[in-house]
Amino acid sequence: MTETSFVHAPLGKTSTSTEGKLAFEIFERPDFSILGVKLRAGEKVFAEPGAMATMTPGVQMKSGFRGGFGRSVGRLFGGESLLVNTFTASQDSEVTLAPGPAGDMVHHRLRGGHLMLQRGAFVAHSDGIDISGKWQGAKGFFSGQGLVLLKASGDGDVFFNAYGAIMEIDVVDGLVVDTGYVVAFEDTLGYKVSVMPGLRPGSKIKTFLFGGEGLVVDFEGRGKVWVQTRDVGPFLRWVTPFRPQKSRG
Amino acid sequence: MRTEILCRPAASVARITLDEGESITCEVGAMIAMSTSLGVETASRKRGGGGGVLKGLKRMFAGESFFLNHFTAKTNNQSLIIGPSLLGDIVSHKLTGGNLVVQGSSWLASGSDVEIDATWQGFGKAIFSGETMFWVKCSGTGDVLLSSFGAIYEVQVDGAYTVDTGHIVAFEDTLGFSIGKSAGSWLGSFLGGEGLVCKFKGRGKLYCQSHNPPSFGKLLGPLLKAR
Repeated sequence: MTETSFVHAPLGKTSTSTEGKLAFEIFERPDFSILGVKLRAGEKVFAEPGAMATMTPGVQMKSGFRGGFGRSVGRLFGGESLLVNTFTASQDSEVTLAPGPAGDMVHHRLRGGHLMLQRGAFVAHSDGIDISGKWQGAKGFFSGQGLVLLKASGDGDVFFNAYGAIMEIDVVDGLVVDTGYVVAFEDTLGYKVSVMPGLRPGSKIKTFLFGGEGLVVDFEGRGKVWVQTRDVGPFLRWVTPFRPQKSRG
Repeated sequence: MRTEILCRPAASVARITLDEGESITCEVGAMIAMSTSLGVETASRKRGGGGGVLKGLKRMFAGESFFLNHFTAKTNNQSLIIGPSLLGDIVSHKLTGGNLVVQGSSWLASGSDVEIDATWQGFGKAIFSGETMFWVKCSGTGDVLLSSFGAIYEVQVDGAYTVDTGHIVAFEDTLGFSIGKSAGSWLGSFLGGEGLVCKFKGRGKLYCQSHNPPSFGKLLGPLLKAR
């Protein structure tokens, strides 16, 4: 008998980890998460532009193309802005980082492997991490907005966020996730984008009726997948009928 | 079938675990993640009085999706995670033979022994024209999962109780009901901002939501670009 285990990340108001390279705390999980990083002199944190909420004296902020122009263009394809802001501490200090959407935030300690991030999910990383865009080719193109990925590699901390809460799922024997709800996954997993089983050829109802909805990622192998519990896409579709009609003539 | 509600209360999802042969019906788009040994079948269902694919298409363009997914486990211990599109909570209601009338967008899923009738017109058709509000009557036995915009609360009605229509999630049809105006006059009702209310009478369970989706939509809509 096969079995897929679903391990749910413990949700508390505050979470931290002794695994971290940086000393940090994530406050107000899962609905209004905000990240506080404590930096010692000389330590750095790299964050997406606009994420900085507060900082104490002794932190220098520098925006720039990290990893050279080529890498930055790759990140642009990955849906993140070209620039990554660097915060360097000259004394013991603290930076808080808040992402755009209300929602959850997760810390993941990378030790040499790779972590794939859905576009828009990246918040910050520590020294030792390299973020690059990964052009998905036809796979990414086919899924439209669905699956454009960034790849984090190296040894250090990665912080990512999503609209809604984030669930951590240990994949043992495959998992199917709607493309809009994938936040991140370990690249030990194999993945491919496909059509929701009920909508596959031969079934009566065709995918085009759903305007791109109905696409899923099939994961196989072993590894972790982080899934968000809400997606902005359906919310935007819900609000559309309330928009004013364009006047004609 | 086991149901757990996780990540409460603002971004709640339901995790449903099915054993071999068990199945559940959800609205298309509710599925977030699932095990690989779940069969999925998409079907159309009558809604609001019209059947067939063409009528269904018409309704879909009017902003109502009418396709349902039936998930059936091929082996034991298969999990399915489902969630609604708006921020809010989820509750599970156990049907034991009675009827539950659910506001269309609050119906998330129901067990295979629950009959879903989306043609229920108990409030009359004319009353809600202009608003994309429809009602689903659930009967039979099993779990019905209800989602809300905001928090969800249960009211045990005994006597009379008045609720703004936008705040209704679901109610047992042992309750009598009538649609009416909130103030003494129609003018007063609309100036007071409380368009239509539902007046319940009798005994039965009522689920309400803390926030009113159409009110939120009307707040956001005018601030957005014309479509």
